[in-house]
Amino acid sequence: MLNRRQFALASVASVGALALGRPGSSFAQAEQVARFRLIIDPEGLYNVQSISLAVSSVLGNYLLEALVYLDEKGQARPWLAESWQADADGRTITFKLKGGKAFHDGTPFDAAAVKFHFDTILDPNSASPSKGIVGPLEKVDAPDDSTVVFHFARPFAPFINLLGQSYFGFNSPTAVKAAGQAYARHPVGTGPFMFDSWTPGTRIELIRNPNFKQYRPDAANQGLPYLDRVVLNVMAEEGVVTSALQTGEIDAAQLTADAVRPLADDPQFKVINDKNAKNLMFMEFDYKKPPFSDKAFRDAISHAVDRESVLAAAFGGNGTIALGPLSRGIPGYDDAIAQKFGTPYDPDKAKALLDTAGWKDDGGVRAKDGSQAKFTIRSYADSTTERALAVIQANLGDIGIQVDVGTADWGTFYPSLLKPNWDMDLNRWTWSDPSVMSQLFRSPGHRQLLPPNPAIDDALDAADTALDPARRMQFVSDAQKAILEDRMILPLLTDWPMTVTRAALQGYRLDYLGYIYATDLKVAD
Amino acid sequence: MSEALLEEPVFEAVPRWRQLLGRLLRNRSAVAGSTVLLILVLLAAFAPLIAPYDPFKINPAQRLMPPGALHWLGTDEVGRDLLSRIIHGTRYFLLICAVTASISASIGTVLGLIAGAGSSLTDGIIMRMIDILLAFPYILMVLVVVAILGPSLWTGMAAVGIAGIPGYARLVRSAVLTIKAEDYVVSVRALGASEAEILFRTVLPNVLSPLIVYLSFATPLAALLASALSFAGLGTQPPAPEWGAMLVNSRTYLFSAWWAVAAPGTALFISIFGMNILGNGLRDVLDPRS
Amino acid sequence: MGRYVLKRLLLLVPVVIGIMLITFLMKALIPTDAATAIYQGQLSEQDAAQAIAALRAKYHLDLPWYEQFLLYVGDLAHGDLGESIRLRKPVIDEIGYRYVNTILLTGAALAIALVVGLATGILAAARRNTWLDVTATTIGLFGISMPAFFFGLLLILLCSVWLRILPVVPHGPLAIVLPAVALGLIEAAPLSRVARSSMIDVLRRDYIQAARARGASEIALILCHALPNALIVVLTVVGLQIGNLLGGAFIVETIFSWHGIGELAVNAIQWRDFALTQAIILISAVTYLVINLVADILYAWLDPRVELVS
Repeated sequence: MLNRRQFALASVASVGALALGRPGSSFAQAEQVARFRLIIDPEGLYNVQSISLAVSSVLGNYLLEALVYLDEKGQARPWLAESWQADADGRTITFKLKGGKAFHDGTPFDAAAVKFHFDTILDPNSASPSKGIVGPLEKVDAPDDSTVVFHFARPFAPFINLLGQSYFGFNSPTAVKAAGQAYARHPVGTGPFMFDSWTPGTRIELIRNPNFKQYRPDAANQGLPYLDRVVLNVMAEEGVVTSALQTGEIDAAQLTADAVRPLADDPQFKVINDKNAKNLMFMEFDYKKPPFSDKAFRDAISHAVDRESVLAAAFGGNGTIALGPLSRGIPGYDDAIAQKFGTPYDPDKAKALLDTAGWKDDGGVRAKDGSQAKFTIRSYADSTTERALAVIQANLGDIGIQVDVGTADWGTFYPSLLKPNWDMDLNRWTWSDPSVMSQLFRSPGHRQLLPPNPAIDDALDAADTALDPARRMQFVSDAQKAILEDRMILPLLTDWPMTVTRAALQGYRLDYLGYIYATDLKVAD
Repeated sequence: MSEALLEEPVFEAVPRWRQLLGRLLRNRSAVAGSTVLLILVLLAAFAPLIAPYDPFKINPAQRLMPPGALHWLGTDEVGRDLLSRIIHGTRYFLLICAVTASISASIGTVLGLIAGAGSSLTDGIIMRMIDILLAFPYILMVLVVVAILGPSLWTGMAAVGIAGIPGYARLVRSAVLTIKAEDYVVSVRALGASEAEILFRTVLPNVLSPLIVYLSFATPLAALLASALSFAGLGTQPPAPEWGAMLVNSRTYLFSAWWAVAAPGTALFISIFGMNILGNGLRDVLDPRS
Repeated sequence: MGRYVLKRLLLLVPVVIGIMLITFLMKALIPTDAATAIYQGQLSEQDAAQAIAALRAKYHLDLPWYEQFLLYVGDLAHGDLGESIRLRKPVIDEIGYRYVNTILLTGAALAIALVVGLATGILAAARRNTWLDVTATTIGLFGISMPAFFFGLLLILLCSVWLRILPVVPHGPLAIVLPAVALGLIEAAPLSRVARSSMIDVLRRDYIQAARARGASEIALILCHALPNALIVVLTVVGLQIGNLLGGAFIVETIFSWHGIGELAVNAIQWRDFALTQAIILISAVTYLVINLVADILYAWLDPRVELVS
């Protein structure tokens, strides 16, 4: 449905072009519009209420800005903040803000706006998922317009890195207070683009922020955005997206490996891999049940899976295998430890370990003390997990372990892990900070299965409270080593989200956290 | 005297089987459809002997290979032979058709018989229940059942079977109501036959014709619905070679590896089309007025 | 007639109550709720637990199901269908535009289905057991012999990529064309079948034979005598099909990005968002019941021989 503005613009453009007889002349220059794909319609564009990928990518790519950004090495750098300083006890962090920023509605960006955002998050009435993310944050003060003070119950090391996420991008307090419940339908930030319209379920349109000031030194375009308008189309079905790319109705879209294949060799398209992806696909064991409570058994299984095959089958090879429990894209990933303590694919070693542990081959399936090696492996329903599971099932079958595969949608699968009727699961977790290991692996673990393990727990606790980056990274490495030595999980791979762009779209690149530099985008045609 | 009269129906209402069979064999649609069904049954019965490879054996090095000498229909996204998976898929297809049809037809027919033949109170209660089932959006009912029971081939079939009950119930009920009023039933009743006898010896055989015809149409619909479940991520779980699931999971390969989509798609199309054509033929012969 | 309508309307009430009770029962039976579905897996266990508890308290999810039922009925009496937990906005805001979209799509699809179904059915009946019959039957059966999403994707390929007669992402009124064609061709099959058989039936009747003996042309016979009678039966089938269309077109809606109730229904169940699910069930059910009532009344009005039995 063309709204009146679009119709008017189109008419003027075409009439103008016709009148002058020179399409594309400067008198009747068509709008620079880029069209992208949204996988699902965001449930609401308010980052206090929602941290889902759909919401955070729209907000983080175009509309909001944060205190810090992460550079190509994953180090936090000043963005809207000028500088920051932690107190000696690590429980207070003071930020100095840059001046000269204003929200899309003209409200000045200042310490009061920052305080307002965090107050809203901390307020129980908001039921904000970010409340958990900020951990031990207790209070935020704004003693003057450019100073913000964060007070924590105990030192919280992940905080600075997490500030770069769009969950902590800032909304205009005037707009939030005025709109109330309806704010999620009309966000107001400080970013290069402003919200224009939202046809529910179908399309979100954004227009250039004419008063935008670029505070990120790593953006190629230090001035106003080149694009006049950004159109985000909600398209769930990949086959349709591929068709739309081919007819030029979409300029870029995130696609799975299967859908990218036919476009990969076409010079009209460019495929951009997010090599800083922060996801990890891994196998977990029901730690409380034998034989998975036995480290020797876990050790054997850990050598039995051919990660390259899983990556090839599930993601068409787009990604990297993982030997360590932290993704490569997360600051603190220690490759030396992963290589030294990880368990590379070695089916012969796996068989030998099983023999030693007492699991003898009994006609194809191993058995010990009368019980056969027949187990269940669960996962969430997705074409990628299904293919991964097919490979894993075959690999385990090769060493004499029979597994039964079952998938269910995430809402059924994840809570079901709290019950004892499973043996192994295939899981995938995305987080941008090493504290992901604490979320998942610090006893009792995210599914209440892990017994206390001082080597792991102490390292993780120390990592979460050491504000000094160097010391923190040391603890993060220790934690990775301890988790690997325990054979707690079997890390498999990190897949790289792929975006296919038409060659005519220029300037599309991703920063460390996976957000695009919207100011750099340009459509050449 | 009255028993002798009850030995055979007063009016020759039941068509003779021989006559029917002859007409069926002369009807092109029925022959074509039955051939398809027969081929499916044979493939399903002898699948392990006919299929060249193990349908579950994966071979990541040979994923998505086009049709060729080694793999006549090509391979899928984890390297499994498509021809073998299609052949073994006939078992799942026939199983889905059989189970969903059994559930819908048996429960639906019983309900319809009771409603049609019983008192108006029974009829009212049962029809309200049927109305509730019918008013409940089809797909939602299936999804809810699967959400409660957890996704698997059997819960999917149960859900689709349950969703199909109202159709059969209504059909049987209206057939019973029509037949109840026919002369021959009235006269048999006047001669003192009990309700049960009338129900099973006179009414039911006459309901069979429209029932069989409806069955031949409703079953392929149920099979399609079962494959729609795979679209929502429910239904048959991997790595089962069920055509609907195979089609859903390979649809992103439409451009890059069309054979992975064409194989299950064509298999489904031919099978369902065949059953529909068979239905047309059956209807022409058995019950031209429905 | 008036008494009949009143009686039918009253009979709607127990059906609707039955449906509401079933939806609440389903809520009690399904293991997870919306809050869990949203936060599980997005955050660490304690954070998720905290967020879930907060959300549950806000939306009364922590009350026993019968208390929730009473609250729900009370709200309904005030015209409040509740708020979607997932979308954090009133259910009616989301259902409103989608319902309109679904009605539009259903209408367009039915129009296409009627045209295609009647045409193929009549052709097949008029030239029974000839190649024309086979061809017409094949066309009539085509849409229903393959899964809807496959059909839809093929349509997009054909029309948008190969023939380029329609954009893949249509704006404005064009957007309804492909999904209506897809859904319409799928729905044409049962209509074609019914049209064919009722046409065959009518064409065999005595008064048609008599008219033919008097020299009436085939076309006049078909259009003026046979068709109106066949239409009645076809319309009955349409009434039944509407239930499917209103609730079950989610595949077509998803593929063509036509945002209707079907797509929402599937999402709502996956999100375990019961307010949304219940509202959709209620609205679809009431629509279906009302349409069937209207159809029955029309049927009786058109054919006075039919006795209005309830």
